[in-house]
Amino acid sequence: MSAPPVIEASGLSKDYGSGRGLFGLDLEVRAGEVFGFLGPNGAGKSTTLRLLLDLIKPTAGAARVLGLDTARDSLEIRRRVGFLPGDLALYPKLTGRVVLDYLAELRGGVDRRVRDSLVERFDAELDRPVRELSTGNRQKLGLVQAFMHEPELLILDEPIAGLDPLVQRSFHTLLGEVSVEGRTVLLSSHTLSEVERVTNRLAILRRGRLVVVDSVENLRRVAVKRLEIEFAAPVAADEFRAITEVTEARADDRTVTVSFQGSADKVVKAAAKHEVVAIRPREDELEDIFLRYYQGDAA
Amino acid sequence: MNWPTAKLALRLRLPAALSAAVGLIAVMAAVGALFPAVGHTIGKLHVPASVSNLLGGGDYGTITGWFRSEIAAIYGPLVIGAIAITGASAATAGEEEDRILALVLAYPIRRSRLVIAKAEAIAVVVLTIAAAMWVGLIIGVALAGGGITLAHMTALAVQLAFFGCATGALAIALAAGTGRRSLATGVAAGVAIAGWLINSFAPLVSPLTWLKYLSPFYYYAGHDPLTQGVDIAGLIVLGAVTLVLMIVAAAGIERRDLRG
Repeated sequence: MSAPPVIEASGLSKDYGSGRGLFGLDLEVRAGEVFGFLGPNGAGKSTTLRLLLDLIKPTAGAARVLGLDTARDSLEIRRRVGFLPGDLALYPKLTGRVVLDYLAELRGGVDRRVRDSLVERFDAELDRPVRELSTGNRQKLGLVQAFMHEPELLILDEPIAGLDPLVQRSFHTLLGEVSVEGRTVLLSSHTLSEVERVTNRLAILRRGRLVVVDSVENLRRVAVKRLEIEFAAPVAADEFRAITEVTEARADDRTVTVSFQGSADKVVKAAAKHEVVAIRPREDELEDIFLRYYQGDAA
Repeated sequence: MNWPTAKLALRLRLPAALSAAVGLIAVMAAVGALFPAVGHTIGKLHVPASVSNLLGGGDYGTITGWFRSEIAAIYGPLVIGAIAITGASAATAGEEEDRILALVLAYPIRRSRLVIAKAEAIAVVVLTIAAAMWVGLIIGVALAGGGITLAHMTALAVQLAFFGCATGALAIALAAGTGRRSLATGVAAGVAIAGWLINSFAPLVSPLTWLKYLSPFYYYAGHDPLTQGVDIAGLIVLGAVTLVLMIVAAAGIERRDLRG
């Protein structure tokens, strides 16, 4: 029998009116997954994360986290989850050390050695008031507090915002370790490049609705393919646009770039009517796939 | 009680409260020192009863009247009310608007316990201010030449502490119910000012005399603590109002969406 999902949303909705919010989200995140939650700003990502932690109440539907009801068992869920909110805010007058001490005391059961190792790993600044810290340095404190009690589930909203590349690498390494330990991560972002290296599966949200849930590999597999065909003499792009499978054809001097779905047979045969110098396959960038799901939104 | 939260709230609020306390003691000492030179010159004001009521009787010729008008009628409740209201709003709705609670309430703490812990910290701040007023009164009365008993000065400080707790609880209830700092501060301050006006004017209009019972000022100073001592009934009412408002605050924040 397979393990129950760590996160399970069923028709989860939060209607803010005027088409804003989250609508009918059905989602499962499995144990040990690093799950990417993607969408442009305002797509409903943060709303979903806040619903899972009972910071806001759903207008319809329900969700379970770690097998517990988000409304009824919120306290127990929050005990077992590490959370990093988007646009993190901390007490500006207090030093990072005082803030972390407070949060550790509030949570209880935090192993000081784990906290110290995270501080060292992220090179977090503890002795200056939060108001004097850069966004990246504040984010480091946010990451330390989210991981310091070694939670079963991490819910991270835009976790690498403001982090420099070295710290990003440390963060990605840590995510890998967490995943190996069988812990689960739900990671939101508005840019795919942030998460494609570390996630097993991802969901794309658009205007409060789930557009797709799949593995990065599958998303690549169904992607539109592209051939760049170099001819001995200029060829009209229209010859390729007439092919049913072709979604786009563009001519640039002697080179025609053809985007198509399914088999390349008709494209190659159409090209073969002319003298072909070279054919170069171009894989659709994952970012393009992502943006295509965004069409209609300002990405 | 959630000790880490109360401790942190105290750490954030107590330094400013202690500075205010030192200032208050200095002001009250100065008020006392002025009495021998100024009090007898002013004497009892001959003004309409409505104005006299607003000023705590307007009798500047006696030491009790001087401190009643200078401290008990306006300055004392104004200072303690302002500190309680702004502190209570900032510690709850202020942190919510600043998005700090979006992190803190993702920790295993009930919202109601968090609000109660903040309220406890504000109560300590109020008690600190009331204690400073008590010390300031003792020094001020001594500098004025004496004439008010220690028991009566203590009574005023105790009444002020309960008044501060009630106004702070009103601000917390509003802040917890709405998550809006400016609304909580504005409405609580408005209620306090309206209470002061009602307590002063309502007794002058026979059909409206009963309105004074709606004013927290009536339960704070209607009994005149500087001559009558502690008003147990008034303290019970102010304490009960504080308790009810805290129950409202705890229930209010549990039921709504967190802002920010």
